[in-house]
Amino acid sequence: MSESYTHGEMQAYTIARLIKKDQVVIVGTGLPLVGAILAKKRLQPTCRLIVESGLMDFNPKEIPRSVSDNRSMAHCAVACPPIRYLGYQANALLNHNDHLIGFIGGAAVDIYGNVSATSIGDYHHPKVRFPGSGGANGIASFVNTVIVMPHEKRRFVNEMPYITSPGWLDGPDGRKKGGLPTDRGPQVVVSNLGVMKFDTKTKKMYLWGYYPFTSPEEIAENTGFSMDLSQAKVLPEPDEDTVRFLREKIDPDHLYL
Amino acid sequence: MAFGGFTTGRKPLAAVCEILRQGQTDLIGEGGPAGSDWDMLIGAGRVKAYINCYTANPRFSNVSRRFRAAIQEGSILFEDYSQDAQMTMFHAAAMGLPYVPVRMMLGSGMEKEWGLCEEERKKIDKLPNQKFLIQQNPFIPEEKLLLLPVPRLDTAIIHAQIASPDGTCRLLSDPFQDVDLAFAAKNTIVTCEELVSNEWIRREPEKNTIPGITVSAVVHLPYGGHPSQVYGYYDYDKEFYLEYDRAGKSDEAFQQFLKEWVYGVKNHAEYLEKLGVNRLLRLKNVPGYGFHVSDETIAEEESK
Repeated sequence: MSESYTHGEMQAYTIARLIKKDQVVIVGTGLPLVGAILAKKRLQPTCRLIVESGLMDFNPKEIPRSVSDNRSMAHCAVACPPIRYLGYQANALLNHNDHLIGFIGGAAVDIYGNVSATSIGDYHHPKVRFPGSGGANGIASFVNTVIVMPHEKRRFVNEMPYITSPGWLDGPDGRKKGGLPTDRGPQVVVSNLGVMKFDTKTKKMYLWGYYPFTSPEEIAENTGFSMDLSQAKVLPEPDEDTVRFLREKIDPDHLYL
Repeated sequence: MAFGGFTTGRKPLAAVCEILRQGQTDLIGEGGPAGSDWDMLIGAGRVKAYINCYTANPRFSNVSRRFRAAIQEGSILFEDYSQDAQMTMFHAAAMGLPYVPVRMMLGSGMEKEWGLCEEERKKIDKLPNQKFLIQQNPFIPEEKLLLLPVPRLDTAIIHAQIASPDGTCRLLSDPFQDVDLAFAAKNTIVTCEELVSNEWIRREPEKNTIPGITVSAVVHLPYGGHPSQVYGYYDYDKEFYLEYDRAGKSDEAFQQFLKEWVYGVKNHAEYLEKLGVNRLLRLKNVPGYGFHVSDETIAEEESK
């Protein structure tokens, strides 16, 4: 089969399809931003995009590079200071508002959806240092999340010495023991190879879907822990119009795609 | 010390260059959403301890390179909080609160690991002795809380779009943490794109965001945010940020960059002269778009 879309476009489309009607979507940069903009402009126009810098309900004309980009600032409903965003995030939890979904990234993820964005190796003398939490820790603590991560063995890791953004921590009781809300946590992981979800009982990651150009075997080979593959099904491809829209309207300069 | 702005947005970078030229050192930084502001000071060896939550020029340097090198080489004292925590601490400082109870960072590495241990903290009188304390919520006993100390800021530096000589500031669009910093700091220095009269800025007080009574000094520095974006005025200078990224790859290249763009110019006016008027014009925001677009793009869009 010849593909009329790139792998990045498939991933962005998959991200966009995770966004539901009327959802409030916390998004940063990268592919989640491309997917969220696709959702806002085409698939789910009633969703509202917000960012940790405080910009509420933005809909950029040109793709932003950062969460504080003028491109989002110029086309939003309200440019709140970041503390208002924090208040919104906290109150969504306290008011049992289930409309909120957050996208986070990082350097590595483990089977329980814990994400590292701080460092690899000893925290005090790291082999590689990353930018740090940013807003991701708060999102992972208080909001249901979608984790977006390139699929490599060194990123889907068996051990996570430093957790920047807590997932289910060490299993079903992890968040309770840690002092975090138990009714929030990672829901989905989207990689360039497929889509993973978390078992409701064990809270372990399992393969939920793969792309027409990947296979469960390939995904298992690129994952640093063993994962249930038995429930995986092939995911739908974007149609021609959607691909053209992504290419011509959302990211014509190939900033992310 | 803390800076206003957000990664590549409205960062007081002309002021950072002036700090480098004047030679201030041993700074204790409250980073917040940082970019090349703290990265430059770290790369120039001016930072003693860096309290950080995020340091990057997104899509130019996804991790600020001198910050990364300093931590990897062990040449800097550092502490990690989440951005939510640092923003809350700035807000608490602005409110004059003694500490803030939160549920942030629980269960994460930021709870488990202290970048600066208590003994180290005791040696630095500007820092609280604890990163945080853990306590049960006195109102809801089963709830675990993390008590954050509130930073006392000596100096905040903010780049505003418009200010008047008495310190009144008008920040256009997202004010980020800047209003909190101005209220919290012992001394707040404002650099501004446009200096206007005290009378003019009072004609529309609903647009003003920082009262002059919280500001110690105002410096008129047009393009004082370059290469970051300043909403309503100019876009980020992509080429400059890419050059900065390349320079950050080694200490030698970085020192060369500082020599050329910081120490090699006498002041901000000379820096602007070196950038050149055409380069600055190519960054100008286009009304309606809110960022820079070329004439060709506008013409093309209008012909559709």
